[in-house]
Amino acid sequence: MDASALYALRDPLGIPAAPIIFLVLGVLTWALHIAAVHILLGASGLTLTGALNKNPHWRRLADAMIGTAKIALSVAIVLGVAPLLFVQVVYDPFWYTSNVLSAWWVIGFIVFLIIGSLALFIFYGLNHSMKSTAKTRCPGSLIAAIAFFLLVGFIMHVLSLQMLSPEKWMQWYAPNGIVDASGRTLHDYNFWRFGFFISLSVPVIGLWLIAYRRYLMGRDTEDAGYLAFIQSLSMKLIPVGGVISLALMAGWMFTLPANVAGFATGIWPASTAAILLLAVALPFALGKKLDQGFWGFVPFAFGAVALIVVAVMREMLRWTTLFGVHGYNALDYKLHMDWYSTLMFFLTFGVIGGGVLAYLLTVSWKAGQTKGMYTASPLVNRMGTIGISLLGIWILQYFVIGLWVAYGS
Amino acid sequence: MDLIGLYPTWYEPGIGSGYVVAIIATVHVLFSHTAVGAALLFTYLAYLGYRDDRPELIDFIKKYGMFLLVFSYILGSITGPGIWYSTTVGSPRGISALIHNFVWKWATEWVFFVIEVVGVYMMVYLVGKVDKATYLRIAITFGLASFATMLAIVGILSFMMEPGKASWAEKGGYLLAFYGDNTFAQLAIRSMFMLTITSVVGGIVVAGLKDPVFKTWLARRLAVLGIVTASIGMMLYPWYLSTLPAQAQIVMENRIPAFYNTAIISVLMATIAYFLFTLIKPRMMTAAVAGFATLAILILGLFPGETIRESARKPYVAGEYVYSNQVLAKDVPGMTIKSEIPTLEKVGFSHASVFWPETQREITPQNAIDVGRTLAITACSNCHSLSTTGIRPIARYFGGMTDVPRIQNYLIGALSTGNTMYMPKIPLKPKEAEALALYLASLADPTVVAKFVDEKTRAAEAEAVKAAPNKPVAVSMATPLHTGSKE
Ligand code: HEC
Ligand code: HEM
Repeated sequence: MDASALYALRDPLGIPAAPIIFLVLGVLTWALHIAAVHILLGASGLTLTGALNKNPHWRRLADAMIGTAKIALSVAIVLGVAPLLFVQVVYDPFWYTSNVLSAWWVIGFIVFLIIGSLALFIFYGLNHSMKSTAKTRCPGSLIAAIAFFLLVGFIMHVLSLQMLSPEKWMQWYAPNGIVDASGRTLHDYNFWRFGFFISLSVPVIGLWLIAYRRYLMGRDTEDAGYLAFIQSLSMKLIPVGGVISLALMAGWMFTLPANVAGFATGIWPASTAAILLLAVALPFALGKKLDQGFWGFVPFAFGAVALIVVAVMREMLRWTTLFGVHGYNALDYKLHMDWYSTLMFFLTFGVIGGGVLAYLLTVSWKAGQTKGMYTASPLVNRMGTIGISLLGIWILQYFVIGLWVAYGS
Repeated sequence: MDLIGLYPTWYEPGIGSGYVVAIIATVHVLFSHTAVGAALLFTYLAYLGYRDDRPELIDFIKKYGMFLLVFSYILGSITGPGIWYSTTVGSPRGISALIHNFVWKWATEWVFFVIEVVGVYMMVYLVGKVDKATYLRIAITFGLASFATMLAIVGILSFMMEPGKASWAEKGGYLLAFYGDNTFAQLAIRSMFMLTITSVVGGIVVAGLKDPVFKTWLARRLAVLGIVTASIGMMLYPWYLSTLPAQAQIVMENRIPAFYNTAIISVLMATIAYFLFTLIKPRMMTAAVAGFATLAILILGLFPGETIRESARKPYVAGEYVYSNQVLAKDVPGMTIKSEIPTLEKVGFSHASVFWPETQREITPQNAIDVGRTLAITACSNCHSLSTTGIRPIARYFGGMTDVPRIQNYLIGALSTGNTMYMPKIPLKPKEAEALALYLASLADPTVVAKFVDEKTRAAEAEAVKAAPNKPVAVSMATPLHTGSKE
């Protein structure tokens, strides 16, 4: 597929704001998405280990982690939608082709995700309180949930990878010159790359546990034995998982296609490896400090930054492949600047999203830290009222402008 | 170069991609409306629980809220992207048109979606754990954010039918694409039916209530809400129809199986009857009855609705300029879009398509059957299944005809000219029309292929002999022949 064909596939509508904005938003939101996926997989893995264990600390952890997994599932889905939107704005030729060529799996993605989610809920429904019994009902449902989540992730992986090989598309679409439009095949995968993204769950959940422990310390009645258990578990998961991830990443870099092999020795893999190592080392460097102030939350926050660097590297590889090898420049997309919708998004995102979420998260946090009923302070109430007013204003402008456009202009 | 950006086609031989999209859409509407409906109802119950200090209501929410809310929310939020994914593979340029016009609107909807998801968890987990005023603030925030997601999406759905304002084609821009008559008609009708669904789903919740007096009281309120909103929704329907493009109205009148309309009307009637029943005999409501009613009403009502929406906008999939078969049908000067029809008229699909096997770019008697199949997949399979079963099965539409020239004439006369109103204009070069005709004929009788190759070969040989009687045949052949020709 030469560059002129790739350009022909672009949507002639153009895009309503500078392409770089979509690219950056895609990278940032994907980093958030994958962080939630890591917490989902990590928490499910810990739940499974705990559920198959008789040690009371493990069982208590299993209770906590199934709750985390459930929420992380919702968050991973919500945060997956954003990169899904942005990837097709500037990379439409690649994303759509890759999807159509494996269409059944794209539909399967939905079905498998539903099955996995149901399995997770079934497990949760059957095991409301693992710490109060030594028996776990139907651990198979949790194993199935994890297996289906991995399958879903694998489909995502294949779709992301197929994008990068325009030179093979025609062979996939019409093997031996006869069109196969069934979309039943997954055409390409890279075990190392997939393994790398998935294995990061281990160190990430380790960093999450440090934060969880710090959160528990905020309540004064916490059992010291449990806290020590969490501490030692996280300090094992982080380095072991970190090393496995780095090894898989190295494997990925060695197995890059010949036309981008040079990427492996460039600046991006090196900086990614460096920041991942830092993220692994940080909790050890902080040591006792983790118990003081907000330091217990810092390793996870730094881990999130490291994931952004991972996301940037992933994007740079795509850039190097598509621009460097195939001559497709995502940044020269035709621009049809649309100020209203662009500004409206950023206002909504910054003002309403920021304001309302600040309120909601403050309330959740405080309620979680309070034993019994939480009564909001006047300041928090004020935040809530402002949030509601902002939503009201947004709805009002929707109708004022809309009715004017539809009937007045 | 004369390339047009057609993607590969996904052709699902069993049920057709159209039905896959409609099924997923139905499931999504089912769960998302259930989620919003249940959330509204729980908010109301929480309000009553706090106001009248009734801890049993709070307990009730804790017990069932988790199940209904989170369950339907998760399934709603999976099938939402599910619609997106299924339309992506069914109609990549259709979804692309929506994405590229409305990316910021979609991103805005996403902001509200995030608020909604955080809100729903808080409503479930924090009931009874935060003070009354705070809980109500959370609930109102959640409700407004949910409503805003609907506001943000409805104009995008309208654009699938037609641009908000006709002047969009000339002037371009997001506002004219998003807002129009149809946007508001749809918004009104959807809001009503969402409340109707709230009342239906609410039945499941009510069935779980213990206190018989309260149960009766709530069941009656829900029944009234249901009857009122379903009736208003029905009254709004003609307004909604009147905002559809003329083309869609004709398709609706002529091409939708008659039972679909009947089905929708009967479902509405049945819904009202069901509410009347719960109004009179609220105690008869058990979870099984309510659950069954919910499923029946939603599935019977939604599936024909989604199918009509899929059919009514034929031959377009989006903005009245993207054909279902992915070809851009019109100039849209406001967005500097050029129709692709002239390019197709000039060079044909076989030379204009990006995804076309190189061995099929030049058409010969030998590859004609393969070219015909590729053409059918590219140009027809979005709307017709290429067999005798499935959606608008094409083999049936030619009634077993095996006469290649006759089919070819039909294709050139009726399709290439755009003379069949609910079908796109499909320009075909003469050789393409012949190849497609051969393929269509072969669906009825596979032996026509061998006959066709044979005849063409003889004709070409005769031509060659006539043109240059002294030269060996194979050398002067205009089109390459396969080796085993009959000599
Ligand atoms: C945009 C969708 C669409 C595409 C693409 C499409 N058709 Fe159709 N076609 C229709 C619809 C809708 C009907 C009417 C269906 C009915 O009456 O049940 C129809 C009817 C027909 C009929 C019957 C005509 C008549 O007058 O009753 C034939 C023959 C036909 N199509 C052939 C084709 C062929 C061949 C192609 C590909 C070259 C094609 N169609 C592509 C939508 C399409
Ligand atoms: C629980 C299930 C999920 C898992 C385990 C998962 C995992 C992954 C992984 C591993 C990747 C990277 C693949 C690679 O680059 O090789 C990825 C990418 C992606 N995921 Fe998910 N994912 C899940 C759910 C979702 C959902 C529900 C959505 C959308 C609604 C989504 C949207 C995306 C998108 C769009 C990308 C690619 C982004 C790009 O190429 O820029 N994911 N996911």
